[in-house]
Amino acid sequence: MFANFCIDLFVTAATFGNLIGSSYFLRIAPGSNLITAMVAAFQSGRDIWREKYIKDLASYLLTLPVSRRLFVLSRIAGGVARSLVVTIPGTLVISYLYGVLFSPRLIEAFVIVGVFSLGIVGLSIAVSAFASTIEVFATVRSAIQLYLSFLSTIFYDVSLFPAIVQPIVQTNPMTWAMQAFRALQIQGSTLYPTAALVGPSLTFAMLGALCYLWYTRL
Amino acid sequence: MSSSTIQVTSSNELSVPGSASRLLIQMARRDIATLFRTPWIIISRSLAFIIQLFVFAYLISRLVVSYPNYFGYYAVGAVVSTVASISFIIGYDIFEEAEEGLLDYLLTLPIPRREFIIGRSLGGAVRAMIYTIPMFVIVAVVESFANPISILAALLDLFLIAFGVTGLSITVAVSVRSANRFDVVLALLELAVTRASTALYPFVALPFYVQALAPFSPVSFAADSARQALMKSSLDVLGLAGLAAFVVIFLGLGATFYFRRLEGGVYA
Repeated sequence: MFANFCIDLFVTAATFGNLIGSSYFLRIAPGSNLITAMVAAFQSGRDIWREKYIKDLASYLLTLPVSRRLFVLSRIAGGVARSLVVTIPGTLVISYLYGVLFSPRLIEAFVIVGVFSLGIVGLSIAVSAFASTIEVFATVRSAIQLYLSFLSTIFYDVSLFPAIVQPIVQTNPMTWAMQAFRALQIQGSTLYPTAALVGPSLTFAMLGALCYLWYTRL
Repeated sequence: MSSSTIQVTSSNELSVPGSASRLLIQMARRDIATLFRTPWIIISRSLAFIIQLFVFAYLISRLVVSYPNYFGYYAVGAVVSTVASISFIIGYDIFEEAEEGLLDYLLTLPIPRREFIIGRSLGGAVRAMIYTIPMFVIVAVVESFANPISILAALLDLFLIAFGVTGLSITVAVSVRSANRFDVVLALLELAVTRASTALYPFVALPFYVQALAPFSPVSFAADSARQALMKSSLDVLGLAGLAAFVVIFLGLGATFYFRRLEGGVYA
């Protein structure tokens, strides 16, 4: 995943930086890290799907002496923790580029990645509860990843989109995660974009939890 | 994905070995059918291409003012990188077959190893072409490419890159034993071959460390040659020669490694 991040940052972002302007490289740089976080977060749903259909572990896990609610919360927390660990090098690289590596604001960078990952882990668990084959899971994952990557403000400002698409872009969690990172760059407050990100992330996490609880009752 | 079997329509097909070309086509048909039996892959990749072209390329080309007609540049490159990506799938199929034991069944079929291997490479390349042609048509319509000779030349580029990447993918599938390592190697190879090339980004804009690699990427050969044919109506002989060399090298390597895996080094 770090190699993927490096290719995104040092090939794609660097090339667009050369094509559009050096400030553009810094503008889109956090996108590389958030895309890595998104891929890592989706692994949680894939693991749950594999436990059910490939490893036949779901029945065993559900017999453990842990309440279902606690179990699902721990799975979501585990997914977020894994995503945070996977993106440590990327978060440090972006923090260095944004000049906050050696300041307390570094914590804010990790908070942004964590809150963003929370929503994606929830979404991936919700998808895994309904996908009957790995192809269906991969297709839905791909569609969500396309939405998060291309219908957000990673690469372009919201004003470039047609008016009809702008509400979709403005409600995209990736848009707010990017806004929060960019606030770090200009030494601004990350409170508003992070607060805006908390809403969809908590909603997706709850959706994931509910779907998982529904799936475990079958 | 790889759970299909070869259809035997009459008992004569088993008892009397057919001509080499018929067996070759039979093997290729199986791989083509395998891809179309999993429509979800086609749906997700088509969706990705359409969004990549009509959202990403359209919007980003409005920002790229330093390179004229970046949308057209990107559109042709997106088709080339997609055909390369699809051609990698054959490696996953072959790896799965070996893991699931299906390969043992395939080897009991009355098909010589040579036809078996060439048929698989051909099947991988043809199915990538079948899958990519609708995207190529979309790009041709949007960019008004109408010269039939240019279109044929570009299709030749696409077929050569598909054939070569299929060989590369088979080489990796039969030379890496661990499933996790195989997934990582193939994914990174796919990323490196498509991103470290001039398919999506102009050479002048690439960072210096990518500029050192991009001219040797087969995807660069195919993308530059296809653009030359479609946008300038001329033939990129160097690109075509590079592609042909790539096909010969990796088809040869793929066949050699596959033979070794199947026969322990004894050639059929």
